[in-house]
Amino acid sequence: MSESVQIKTETVKLTIDGREVVVPKGTLVIEAARALSIEIPFFCYHQKLKSDGNCRMCLVSIEKMPKLQVSCSLPVSEGMVVQTNTSVVADARKGVLDFLLANHPLDCPICDEGGRCPLQNYSQKYTAYGQFKEEKRIYPKDYFSPLIEKEMNRCIQCMRCVRYCDEVIDSQALSSVNRGFHVEIGHYAEKQLDCEFCGGCVQICPVGALLNRLPLYEYRPWMLTQTETTCAYCADGCSLRLESRPQTREVIEVTSFWGNETKSVWGSGRNEGDLCAKGTFGYEFVNSPHRLTKPLVRKGGRKDGPLVETSWEEALETAADGFRRIKTQHGGAAFGALASARCTNESLYVFQKFVRLILGSPNLDSSVRYGAVNAARAMTELTGTPRWLTSYEEITRADLVFVIGTDITQTNPIAGLKVKAAAKRGAKLIVATPLRRRISTLSNIVNRATRHLAHAPGAERAIAIGLVKAVLEEGRLAERVASHRSTQRLRDAVAAITPKQIERATGLPYEEIKAAAGEWASASRAVIVFGESVIRAKDGYETVRILGDLALSTGKLIADGCGLAPLMEENNEMGAYEMGVVPDRLPGVGRLDDESDRDRISRAWKEPIPAGPGLTMMEMLKAARDGKIKALYLMGENPVGSLPASAGAAEAVEATEFVVCQDLFLTETGMKADVVLPAASFAEQNGTFTNQEGHVQAVRKAFDPVQGTRPDWEILSEIALEMGYPLEYEDGAEISHEIARLWPGWRELPKRSEQEEAVARYLNEELAEGVSERYRLDRKTDHSVAPNHRFRLVLGPVLFHSGKMSLKADGLMKVMGRPFLYMAPEDAERLGVTEGRLVRLRSAYGPVQRSVDVEVKMDAKYPPGLVFFPESFNEPPVKDLLTVELAPVSGVPVFKTTEVLIEKA
Amino acid sequence: MNPETKKVEFSEKAQKEIREILTHYPDKRSAMLPVLNLAQAEFGHISEDVMVMIADLLDLTPPKVYEVLTFYTLLNEKPVGKYLIQLCRTLSCALAGSENILGHLKQRLGIGIGETTPDGLFTLKTVECLASCGTAPAMQVNGAFYENLTRGKVDKILDDLKRGAQPVLKPMGEN
Ligand code: SF4
Ligand code: SF4
Ligand code: SF4
Ligand code: FES
Ligand code: FES
Repeated sequence: MSESVQIKTETVKLTIDGREVVVPKGTLVIEAARALSIEIPFFCYHQKLKSDGNCRMCLVSIEKMPKLQVSCSLPVSEGMVVQTNTSVVADARKGVLDFLLANHPLDCPICDEGGRCPLQNYSQKYTAYGQFKEEKRIYPKDYFSPLIEKEMNRCIQCMRCVRYCDEVIDSQALSSVNRGFHVEIGHYAEKQLDCEFCGGCVQICPVGALLNRLPLYEYRPWMLTQTETTCAYCADGCSLRLESRPQTREVIEVTSFWGNETKSVWGSGRNEGDLCAKGTFGYEFVNSPHRLTKPLVRKGGRKDGPLVETSWEEALETAADGFRRIKTQHGGAAFGALASARCTNESLYVFQKFVRLILGSPNLDSSVRYGAVNAARAMTELTGTPRWLTSYEEITRADLVFVIGTDITQTNPIAGLKVKAAAKRGAKLIVATPLRRRISTLSNIVNRATRHLAHAPGAERAIAIGLVKAVLEEGRLAERVASHRSTQRLRDAVAAITPKQIERATGLPYEEIKAAAGEWASASRAVIVFGESVIRAKDGYETVRILGDLALSTGKLIADGCGLAPLMEENNEMGAYEMGVVPDRLPGVGRLDDESDRDRISRAWKEPIPAGPGLTMMEMLKAARDGKIKALYLMGENPVGSLPASAGAAEAVEATEFVVCQDLFLTETGMKADVVLPAASFAEQNGTFTNQEGHVQAVRKAFDPVQGTRPDWEILSEIALEMGYPLEYEDGAEISHEIARLWPGWRELPKRSEQEEAVARYLNEELAEGVSERYRLDRKTDHSVAPNHRFRLVLGPVLFHSGKMSLKADGLMKVMGRPFLYMAPEDAERLGVTEGRLVRLRSAYGPVQRSVDVEVKMDAKYPPGLVFFPESFNEPPVKDLLTVELAPVSGVPVFKTTEVLIEKA
Repeated sequence: MNPETKKVEFSEKAQKEIREILTHYPDKRSAMLPVLNLAQAEFGHISEDVMVMIADLLDLTPPKVYEVLTFYTLLNEKPVGKYLIQLCRTLSCALAGSENILGHLKQRLGIGIGETTPDGLFTLKTVECLASCGTAPAMQVNGAFYENLTRGKVDKILDDLKRGAQPVLKPMGEN
C-alpha cells in the first residue's frame, strides 16, 4: 500500500504578539513563535524530542483560554491570538524559575555550562534569584562514568537527557530514579553508566547537570573558539564543532549544539546535531603528546641507522634527493605510493598529482583498497557514480529498509540512527545478519527488525542471490526489466541455483528469503543499506553487483525514495576514490584507461599522465618485496600496522630502498621509513571531506598546525619544489578551486535524472555480463558450527574505535582501552570460561602456527560458534592469525574472518 | 532471553502467569507493573538480578525497569523487614506534624529512612501522599492504614506489632 504522495499541507493562521503568521497545521505554538523570531523560553522542550510539557517555562497567554498555556505542547489553531510577553506571563515564568532556583545551587562560577546556560540566562532576564530560604536538596556525589560526569544538585528534572537517549539514540541507558522532589538521573541500581557514550545527553542537558568529564573545570565557555567542521572518523560525515583554545593549539571539547541553541549546527549537518562517541569524545588525538612534531631521518642515510630528529629543510631535501635519485636510476614505475582516506580531498588530490606527474608513477592506491573500492566500483558501474542516489533523509522516510552486512551502530552509528528512525516511524526493517537479537544499552539494529534473516556468517552473497532468485521466479520484476533481453541471462543464472543450495549456504529456509523478497518487491520507498561484511568480503564486489541487480530488477535502483546505500568506514573514502587515489581512476572518477578522460586531465595539468595499469596496494607490496619497487611514499597510510603479518608489508617496506612516510604519529610503517614527516591534523587545515552519501563537506581550520607539523598537501608541494617542479598552492581553498575547475559537478549531488542513462547502459550491457560468475555459490564454505572447539573468528570495527587513530584518543581509551574476544555465553560455558578469563586462539588451518591469548567478554548478541574481535587493536595480535586473501576483481586484501581453535588458556 | 542472566528464575506458576499477562498488551512494556508486582510477590523484593531478568522479558534495558521500580514506593528494591512502615511526608501530613512522627519512629526503632531494624522486624520509609490527607498524619504498615497519628499511637502500634499481635488500633480510619 503506498502512502498518498500528494498530502496537501494544511496551514493555520494565527497571531502572536500582534503579528500574523501562517504555519502548517500541527505546529506547536512555541515553534510558530520561532517562525516569527519570537523566543519563548523553554527547558523541557527540544526540537529533537517529543513534547513532554513538564517544566512550564514556556507559558503564554492565549485569548479565550482561561489559564496560561504550555506553548511547547499546544498545537496552533486557526485564529489563535497568542501573547508571549505580558506581565502575567513574565510573572509566571519568574515563578517557575524561583521554584527551580529553590533547589538549584547557584554555583555558576564553577559550572562548565556557565555562560551558555538557559537557566542562567532566563534567571537574568526575569530577575529570578531564588527567594526561598529552605534548605536545598543535596545529592551525594558519586562517580558516574569515565566520560560523563553528573552533578545532580543542578538538575532541573526536564528529562531531556532520558528522552534523548530513548527517542533518538535508542540506547535506553538513562533512567529517572525515584520520584517527585528526589528524582535524579541515573543508570540503574547505582551502577556506573555503561552506554553508547554518544554524549548527546550532555549536549541536550540545558544546565550543568550532565557534563563532559574530559575537560571538566578546564575552561569557561566564552574563552573557547568555535569552529564548525566535519568529523574525521567515519564516513557518516557528521558536522561538529571544535571548541578550542587557538593560543595553545588545543581542542578542548567537541559539541554540536548547546543548551537551548536554535541556530548553529543544531538541526543541520547530515547528522542533525547527533554525534557518536568518536565524534564527541575522540578528539584528543589532536592534542596527543605523542604527535610527531619534528621530522625524522635515518642517521647517516643508512638503513640500519637510527631515526633522528632533524630540521624541515634537511628532511625535505633528503626526501627530494632520494626521490630524484630513484627516478633517474629506475624511472617512475619504481615508485609506489599509498595514501590514507582520512586525508582531505585537497591533500589527496595533490598527492595523486604529485605521484603521477612528479614521481611519474601509475602505482598509487589508498585505504579504499581495504574494501570501499568494491562498493565504489560496483556502484559506478551500476549507476554511473560511486555516490548514493538515495540519502539519509530517504532512509528516514522509507517504508522498507533492508540492512545487510553491518552491525550498524558499531560501524556507522549516525547512519544507524536514520535506520532506527525509519523503524520507529513504522517502516519495515529487514535485517540480514548472523547476529542475534539482544537488548542492551548499546543499541542493536536486530532488535528493531521486523524480519531478521539470521544467516550463517559470510553468507551475504548467498542471501542476495536468494533474493534475486525469488524476485525473478515469483514474477516480481519491474516492467522495464521483465521485458528486457538481459533478464533472460539473469533468469538462467538463478535457475541454475537451487533453493536447496541457497538454504545450505545461508542456513535459512528458502521460504524465509522468498518472504523477504516479497516484502522488498512490494515496498514503494525502499533502500538497501549494506556495510563492511559485504564490501570487505572476498566476493564483496560481486555481492554489491547482486544487490544492485535486486534493486534494478524491482525498479528500485534509481526510483525516488529508493536506492543502494553502501556504508563506508573512514571519513573520506568516497573522496579518495573520487580524487583518483586508486590506480585505475583519475580525479572526478575519470578512468585511466579511457583516453579521452586521460587527455582532458593531462591537458588541464599540462603534463602527460603515466599510462596504467598501475599497481594496487597488495601488488605494490609484492613488487617491493621482489625488488621492483624502489621507493615508497606513504601519506598517512600504515600498511605494516594495518595488515596481518602474513601480508608481508613489513618485509616489503624493509626491502624498499627509500621510504618516505608522513603522518600524525610515528607508525609501525614510519619506524621502518627513511624520512618521516610530521603532518597536521584535520583541526589544523582547511579542505573538504566527502561523506559516504557524496556530500562534499567543509573541513575548517580551528588553529594553526601544531608546532612543527604541516598539512599534507603543503609537504607534497615543498618536496615538489625541492625536486624542481612547481606544485604550489596558497591554501586548501586554492586546491578546492582547481578540483572544481577540473570537475565542475564535484560539489553537486548526483541527480537521478542524470544517472538514468548510466543505469540504462548497465541494463543493456553489463547486467548480463559475467552473470554466471556473479551468481555462484562458493561450495567450499562450511558454515556449520563445528565441534571440537572450532570457531569462526570475525574481525570488525566497533563503536568506540576506528582504525588506529582512536587509540590515540584518551577519552575513547577510557571506554575501551583494551580489546576482548566477544562470544556467546553458551560458548563461554562450553569452553568453561567466564568473563575476563583468557582463552587461547590458534588458526584452524593454514600456515599461521602461532597462538594468541585473549580476554573473553560474553555478549549474547553473537551467535554460538562465532567470536568477534575489534580490529583496531594489534595487541594481542589476533589479526596475525589470519592469512590475507586477495579479492579477484578488486585486489582487496581480505582478512575479515577465519576459523580458529579456542581453548581455555 | 539473555543466556547471561540465568541466575534467577520465576516459578513455573509465575511464568505461566507472565505469559498470560503479556497477552493483554500490544506492547510488552505495558506489562511492566503487573510483572513487577508478580515478581515482588514471588521474591519478596526486586533485586538487581530480578530487574535484569524482567528487562529481558519485556525487551527493555534495565534502566527502563529501574525507573518504574524506584517510582513506586510499593515496590522494594531491597529486602524489607517483616513490617514495612511507610510514612507520608507530603503537604497535609507535613502540616499535621509528620516530621515529628518521623523523628519519633526513628528514635523508637533506632534506624534511619530506608533502613531495617537488626531483628529484621521493621523497615522505615517515607512516601508521597497516601491519599489520606483528611486524617493526616498518616502511615501505612504492610498495606494497612494508620491515621491521625500521635507519638502515643505510634508507640502502641509498634508495641503491638512487636508482640506479634494485631495492633489494637484498627486500620482504615476506624478509630
Ligand atoms: S547513550 Fe549514553 S551518552 Fe548517549 S544519550 Fe544515552 S546515556 Fe547519554
Ligand atoms: S540531567 Fe539535565 S537534561 Fe537531564 S533531567 Fe536533569 S537538567 Fe534535564
Ligand atoms: S565517527 Fe562517524 S558517526 Fe561518529 S561523529 Fe564522526 S562521522 Fe559521526
Ligand atoms: S518547555 Fe514547555 S513545559 Fe517545558
Ligand atoms: S499528604 Fe499525607 S496522605 Fe496526603
